Amino acid sequence: MNDSTQQQVFEIIAKQAKIDVTTITPSSTLKDLGIESLEAIELIFDIEEHFDITFPDQQGANFDSDTAQSLVDAVQTALDGKAAGEGSK
Amino acid sequence: MPNVSTRRVVITGMGAVSALGVGADALWQGLSEGRSGIAPLRHPDADRLRVKVVAAQVPASYDPTANIDERVLPQLDRTASFALHAAQEAIAQSGLVFDESIGARTATIIGTGVGGEHSHDDQSRRLYGENAVRVHPLSIVRVMANASASQISLAHGLRGPTFVVSSACASANHAISQAAQMIRFGLADVALTGGTDACMSYSVLRAWEAMRVMADDTCRPFSINRRGLVLGEGAGIFVLESLEHAQSRGANILAELGGSGMTADATDIVMPSATGAAAAMTQALAEAGLNPADVDYVNAHGTGTQANDSTETRAIRLAFGADADRLVVSSTKSMHGHAMGASGALELVAVVNAIRYGIVPPTANFDQADPACDLDIVPNVAREMPVRAALSNSFAFGGLNAVLAIKRAP
Repeated sequence: MNDSTQQQVFEIIAKQAKIDVTTITPSSTLKDLGIESLEAIELIFDIEEHFDITFPDQQGANFDSDTAQSLVDAVQTALDGKAAGEGSK
Repeated sequence: MPNVSTRRVVITGMGAVSALGVGADALWQGLSEGRSGIAPLRHPDADRLRVKVVAAQVPASYDPTANIDERVLPQLDRTASFALHAAQEAIAQSGLVFDESIGARTATIIGTGVGGEHSHDDQSRRLYGENAVRVHPLSIVRVMANASASQISLAHGLRGPTFVVSSACASANHAISQAAQMIRFGLADVALTGGTDACMSYSVLRAWEAMRVMADDTCRPFSINRRGLVLGEGAGIFVLESLEHAQSRGANILAELGGSGMTADATDIVMPSATGAAAAMTQALAEAGLNPADVDYVNAHGTGTQANDSTETRAIRLAFGADADRLVVSSTKSMHGHAMGASGALELVAVVNAIRYGIVPPTANFDQADPACDLDIVPNVAREMPVRAALSNSFAFGGLNAVLAIKRAP
C-alpha cells in the first residue's frame, strides 16, 4: 500500500513539475524539483483530488523544506484516518 | 517624468464603511484606539469551511437601505451599497452641491477587486444548487463591476468620466491615482473616488482557503508568528478637487494628494517583488516633490502573509535608504482587515487623519518581532507625533503596485 501510494504521489509531482518521475527521490524537496509556491498549492490540490482526502490547513505550508516523502506520509496519514472512519471531512 | 505643468489636487471629503463601523469617524476612532474589527466569521456556511475563519466584516447592524432611494435598492449589491453610503458621507463633508455645471466637471472613478460577488453567488446557488427556473432580472445590473461608479454618478448627477478600475488589492489606490490625474491634467475639477468590495461569499471564501493564505487566528502584520491575511469588506470614498476649485469655494481642505506611483513587478502572478514595490514608492515621492527625509509615516500594505511583510520591509528600505530607520510604518489591516479593492481607501482615511491629528494608528495584534521586518512598526498602541507627509502602499496579486503620497493641506 505504502509503495503504491508513494508511486502515485511521485507521479502527480512529476506531472506538476514536468519532470521524469525517476528523478524524484523521497528526500527531494519541492524546491529542488523546481516547484514554486503557487505550483505547490496546485500540487496539494491535485493530490487531494486524486486520493479524495483533505490535508489539514497548515500541512504542506512550508514549500521550501517539504520533501516528496513528507507528502507521501501526509497522504498515508489522511488515508489511514479515512479508513478508520474519520472521513476527510 | 516629463516636465508638464499640472494642477494640485486636494481632499475635501471622505466617507467609509468598514468592520469598525459606518463612517470615516467610526473607522478612525477604532484605528486610533488600536481596536481590531476582526472576529469569527458570520456566515450561514461558516461551518462548511475547512479552517476556522476570522474576518473583518461590516457590523451586522449596518442597514443597507438607510438613506437610499427605495426604487434603487433592488439594483444594489452589497458592494454598491457600501460605496453609495461612503460617497454620501464624503460629499456631505465636502459641502459640495452638484449643480449642472459642477456635475459635468466631476469624475467618478471607483476601485473594486471583484464587483457584485454576493449577487453573483446567490444567483449561481439558485441556478446550480437549487435548480431554480428563474434568475433575478436585475442580476446583471447588480453584478456588473462598474455598478458602484454608476450608482454614485446616478445618485448625485455626476456626468464626467465615470468608470471602475480593477487591480485586485490595489484597486482603490489605482482608482484614486487615476482620479487625481484627471484633475491634475484638467479633465475634471472634482472627482469622487475610492474603493469598495464585499466578496465574502461562500465560493470566494473557499477559493481563498484553497490558496492557504488565510489566517485562522487574527491578522498579525510584521510578527514572526503571522499566519496570513484576514479578509475584510467595506468602502472608502473621497472627494478630490483641484486646489483652486477648493479654495475658490472656501472649502475645508483635509490634505493634499501630492502624487502617486504605479508599477508592475512583471515577475510572478502572486509572489511580491521588493524592487517593483520600491519603484512605485520612489515614483510617488517624485511626483509629490518629496524627498525620503520629508516623509514621517508609511501606511504599509502589510497583509500579514509571510511573503508580503518581509518583502515590503525590503522595499521600504530600498526606497527610503537610511531614512527607513527614522520612519514609522504601520499596517491598519490588523484592524480593518484586508478589504480587497477597498483597502487602499480605508488606509487613506488612516493616513489623512494621521496627518491632520498627529496620531499614527498602530499595527494591532503585534506579538513577536521578525528580524526580517526590522522597521518601527508602531506595535499595538497609536503614537502621537507630527506627520508632515506620508505614503500609503497597496500591492496586488498580479504584481501590481500603487502608492499614494499625501501631504498636509496647503
